[in-house]
Order: sequence, then structure tokens, then C-alpha cells
Amino acid sequence: MKRAAVRASSRKLAPRASPGSGGDAAIRAYHVSKSYTAGSFALHDVSLEVGRGEFVFLTGPSGAGKTTLLKLLFAAEQQSEGQIVVLGRNIARLGERAVPELRRRVGVVFQDFKLLPRRTVEENVGMALDVVGTPRREARAKVFAVLKQLGLQHRRHHHPLALSGGEQQRVAIARALVNEPQILLADEPTGNLDPELTVEIMDLIASAATRGTTVLVATHELGLVSRYGKRTLRLEAGRVVEDSRPRGVVR
Amino acid sequence: MKRVAARVVYFGRTALRGLVASPVTSVVAVATIGTSLVLVGAFALLLFNMEGLLERFGGNLHVTAYLEVGLAQERQRELAATARTVEGVAEVRLVTEAEALERFRTGVARGAAFLEGLDENPLPASLEITLVPERQSAEGMRIATASLQGLAGVDDLASGQDWVEGYLRAVALVRGLGLGIGVILVLATLLIVANTIRLAVVARSDELEILALVGASRGFVSVPFLLEGLLQGLAGGLLALLLLFGLFHLVLPGLAFGLELLLGGAVPAFFSTGQALALVIGGALLGVIGSGAALLGGLRA
Repeated sequence: MKRAAVRASSRKLAPRASPGSGGDAAIRAYHVSKSYTAGSFALHDVSLEVGRGEFVFLTGPSGAGKTTLLKLLFAAEQQSEGQIVVLGRNIARLGERAVPELRRRVGVVFQDFKLLPRRTVEENVGMALDVVGTPRREARAKVFAVLKQLGLQHRRHHHPLALSGGEQQRVAIARALVNEPQILLADEPTGNLDPELTVEIMDLIASAATRGTTVLVATHELGLVSRYGKRTLRLEAGRVVEDSRPRGVVR
Repeated sequence: MKRVAARVVYFGRTALRGLVASPVTSVVAVATIGTSLVLVGAFALLLFNMEGLLERFGGNLHVTAYLEVGLAQERQRELAATARTVEGVAEVRLVTEAEALERFRTGVARGAAFLEGLDENPLPASLEITLVPERQSAEGMRIATASLQGLAGVDDLASGQDWVEGYLRAVALVRGLGLGIGVILVLATLLIVANTIRLAVVARSDELEILALVGASRGFVSVPFLLEGLLQGLAGGLLALLLLFGLFHLVLPGLAFGLELLLGGAVPAFFSTGQALALVIGGALLGVIGSGAALLGGLRA
């Protein structure tokens, strides 16, 4: 796999974050490890900090631990070691009730879209609002607004299988964004899409960051990473091997 | 408030959607609940009617003490007075020989014809003894007859004690049988309902995954399934009530002969409104408990 051609600056990452520092960080991880079987690590001693409103790419080859890291961030799995603080909450100490509350503030987008084929676009997007008990009329308005923003308002009564891959992913993004999350996690969001659609989808995700949402995108498409010139965390064999930032960005 | 209403609408919609999405399993669950409740309900009906009969006849149970032939009227009255002092006796009525004869003549069909040609009155005088309500039972009668047995001048005692004891045994048998069968049926029904809901959980695993992803709590995800179980149970309960009502009015008349053995010719009664309601609520509970059991193991996020 070829390395990113355009990288403004890069350095080996030392754990620069420690508990108590960086009060405005959206995500902080301290020496986080995750192992599924004894002795082998999916993630190994990962420390990182992502500020609020920041856009970060998570790159690395397949099996590097990108998906595992994202899963830990929305509490789909628990780390084996270390601490993770997301939006001020220590993930390891979240009770059963606090996990859903955290997930309402964290939107997630997957490579396989995860849409329900028998529900309309509107219903699929509305699921995120059903969960928080948004009254129907208000929910409709919100769904319409987010679909319009993603250029899908005319498709709201269609079923996902009647849509193109790009449109389906836009529906998934709409569902992730409709609740105005503070963090948007995307795991290979363009992995199933054509190159033209890839840029279109990535633009939509990037635009969320311009509105103040913290965005973390896992991808192995380095061309995409270079095109946006954003901060990039490179994972290899479960370790963060590189944290590169575009020149001129202080964070 | 609006949010609560939105949730209620969501739960109702999702539960109905679940029922419609797997019509065959839903119908099987409803039919299972209905069938087992018909059986349990039939036993309950029989039991209620038998117990009702006991209650109705219980109030009419007397002990009759036949007095020795040739006892002077004075002595008969003394005996009546003594019987009144026996514990548990509420009322004693003396029936003289002449009264007994008159009753026989008028009360028994062709009684007068039987008596023709008899020179003397063959009927003895007797005491009709009514017991206090607390003693209107086989046990109460046993105690009372034991006390009355010893009175000098009392020739024989007759009471419904044997009949009551036998009938009580029959009621106990029906109750035991009903209870045993009921427990087995309820357990089997719970298993089937639990299985139905578990299938629904599996069928909707994609939806549950997404719901968990967008921040649905365990309770939020569970309620529609519980509601689905509740609706199935309610439908099953109503079905059972309807079937029992139909069987009661269509099939029972054909069984009159056999029923007379159990109910002694009393007109069988259907469930009261409260009992019918209890049957339907029982169905609903079966549904909720069954789906609750399924969710305990089935909802792993």
C-alpha cells in the first residue's frame, strides 16, 4: 500500500495526552489496548486526542485496528486496558443506561450503510429520532431538513433498495446527523462506492465538521486522505504509528 | 408530554408491525394461548359450577333425627329442647308422626295410594335440625351427628354428610386435575410464546442493531416485544372466551345426561363478567410473561 503522497508534516506519535489535560477534547484515549484473544492485540497502547470540531482521518491497512478503535469510541466494545473519555464521559465507567445516552450524541456511519430495506428513507432516518421520543411532526421536519441538506428530500418515501449506493450512504449519513450529534464516526463510509460518489459522500461528511461536529473517518483510501489535507492518524498492527497534521493547523 | 405520546405511538406501531411481519407465528401463538385457556377455562367452569352447587345445597343441609317409635309427645318435646342445646345447632323443628304422615300423603306422588290399607301410621316422629352456617359442611355435620347420636330416644340419624363428603371429593378431584393440567398447559404456552417472541427478536436483529446504534435503551427496545406478547395474549384470551361461550351454548345441551351426574340437574352457569375478564387478563399475562422470558435471554446488544 502506498503512503500518502501529500503530508504537510508528520511525526512519530508519543502519548501526548494524559488524564486531566485538554478539557475541550471530544475524544481522548490513554494507553488503550484491546485484545480479543490472550496475547494478541487488535489495539496496543493507543493514546490520542481529538479536539471538538476537528476532522481526523484514521488510516492504515486492513486489520490495523481502525474499526476496533471506532467500536471502542461508541461503546460497542470495551477496551482491555487504558482509559477512553468521549465527550467528558469515561467509557469504561458508563452504566447500562449511560451507553444509549452517549450514542445519541455520537453518530455512526458504516461501509454497509445498515439501512432497513422495508422502511422508507424517511423512516430509516427517523429511527434516531424515535429513540429520543421526538414528536412526529417535529421529527418529520427534522428528517426533511437533513435529507434536503443531503439532496435526498425527493427520495424520502422510497425504500433503500430503490436507491443507488451513494444515495443509500447519504441516507445513513442523514440518520447519523439528524440528531445533531457532537461526534460523527465513519467506518470506511465510501468503501462500497464508485470514486465519483466517494468524493461526494466525503464532502458531505466534511461539511459536518465545518458545522462544529467532531468527525473521525476510518479509511484505507489514501488518495482521499491527501485530497482533504486533514489531520491523519495512521494505525499499523494496532498501534498509532503516525499523527500527521496539515501545515498551519495549530491543533 | 409530547415525547411520551410520541413514544407510545412508536411502541404501538412497532408492536403491530411486528405482529403483521410474521403473521403465521403470531397466529400460532394466539391459537396456542387460546387453546390452553379453553382447557383451563373448561375446568374452571366445571369447578365453579360444582362449588356453586355445594354452596346452594350447603344452606339446605339438615340433620334429621328419627325418634324411637312410641315416644310420648312430652318426651319428644324434651328431646327437641335438648337438641337445641347441642353446639352448632341453629334450629330444631319437631315433626310429629301425624305431621310426617300428612307430608307423605301430600308431598310424595301417589303417597296417598301407598298409605291406603294401612291401619296405623308407619312413620316415626323426627327432629329436623338445621346447623349454624359455620357448621354447614361435611365436617360440621359429622360433629353435630356425633353429639346427637348419644341422645336417649333418638333411633337413627340421617344427614347429607356422606353425599357432601363424596361430592367434596369429586370437587377436589376436578380442582386437582384442573390445576395439574393448568400448570402444564401454562408452562407449555409460556414456552411457545417465548419462542415466538424470540423468533421475532431474531427476525428483527438488524433493526435492533440499528436501534442500539442510534442510542435506544434496552427498555425502549423491549417494550414493543412485550406489547406484542400482550396483544397476542389478549387475542388468545378473547378467543378462548369466545370458544368457551360457543361450546357452553352449543355443545353442553348434548352433554346434559353426563352433567347431571356432576351437577345433580342444576342449570350450569357461564362465567361471571369478572371471571370472564380474569380469563382474558390471564391470556394477556401469559403473553407478557412469555415475551419477558424471551427478552431476558434474547436481547444482547
